[in-house]
Amino acid sequence: MAEAVLFYAFGAIMIASALGVVTSPNVFHCALYLALALFAVAAEYVLLNAYFLAAIQILVYIGAVVVLALFVISLTKEITGSEVKLTRRRTVPAILVSALTACLIIVALLKAGIPAGAPAPGESTAALGRHLFGDFVLPFEVVSVLLLSALLAAIAIVSKDPETGK
Amino acid sequence: MTITLTHYLVLGAILFAIGIYGAMTRKNAVGILMALELVFNAVNINLVAADRYMSSGTFTGQLFVLFIIAAAAAESVLGLAIILAIYRARIVINADEMDLMKH
Repeated sequence: MAEAVLFYAFGAIMIASALGVVTSPNVFHCALYLALALFAVAAEYVLLNAYFLAAIQILVYIGAVVVLALFVISLTKEITGSEVKLTRRRTVPAILVSALTACLIIVALLKAGIPAGAPAPGESTAALGRHLFGDFVLPFEVVSVLLLSALLAAIAIVSKDPETGK
Repeated sequence: MTITLTHYLVLGAILFAIGIYGAMTRKNAVGILMALELVFNAVNINLVAADRYMSSGTFTGQLFVLFIIAAAAAESVLGLAIILAIYRARIVINADEMDLMKH
């Protein structure tokens, strides 16, 4: 019962703040709504007993990605100020397409006859660690190389060219 | 009443559709990136829920989500760096006006 209440509460927060992300006229507010939506996703992870993923969600998404987006918004202030129009005019076709996509997925889900099985008990952090450093150690290392190369590439892209000074 | 796998999958579908809507209507490149983060999170909810309800204690879905989060972090870092570089070079941030490679 408590699980159902929390599921619906955080689901409502998630959907409301996601709508804020895509409709708010101020891009700074969009980033803050995004932080709230990602926090609600972390809460859903907790409800799914994925405690480690919830912590990672808050650390990586809210702590790094949203803060980075806020930095970029602050650095491009003239263009992202509140007076600048953020959305195109083609909202009606976009609403149609996304609503039909949602309807398609939901109808397919309801028709698929997914078994209403009981959730697996227990929490997963210890097992995740064993998998990550056991049979998934190669993808783990590849991901760390990916992150390192993304870091270096980002520095290379935004750093000034020493020859032209730009 | 109990929460089943379908509840989480429907929630993921709604979040996915909202993200798609944002990616289609936003002019601002940062706004498009943020809408894409919503899409990633919708997929992640689906994977974690399917892992909890359908896998038998292997936690492969959660591992997949870990790798998706790492890849999404790398993607948003690069995307924001490119936006910043284009902004500094051309003072544009609207995705429609980024046409350097057209001419």
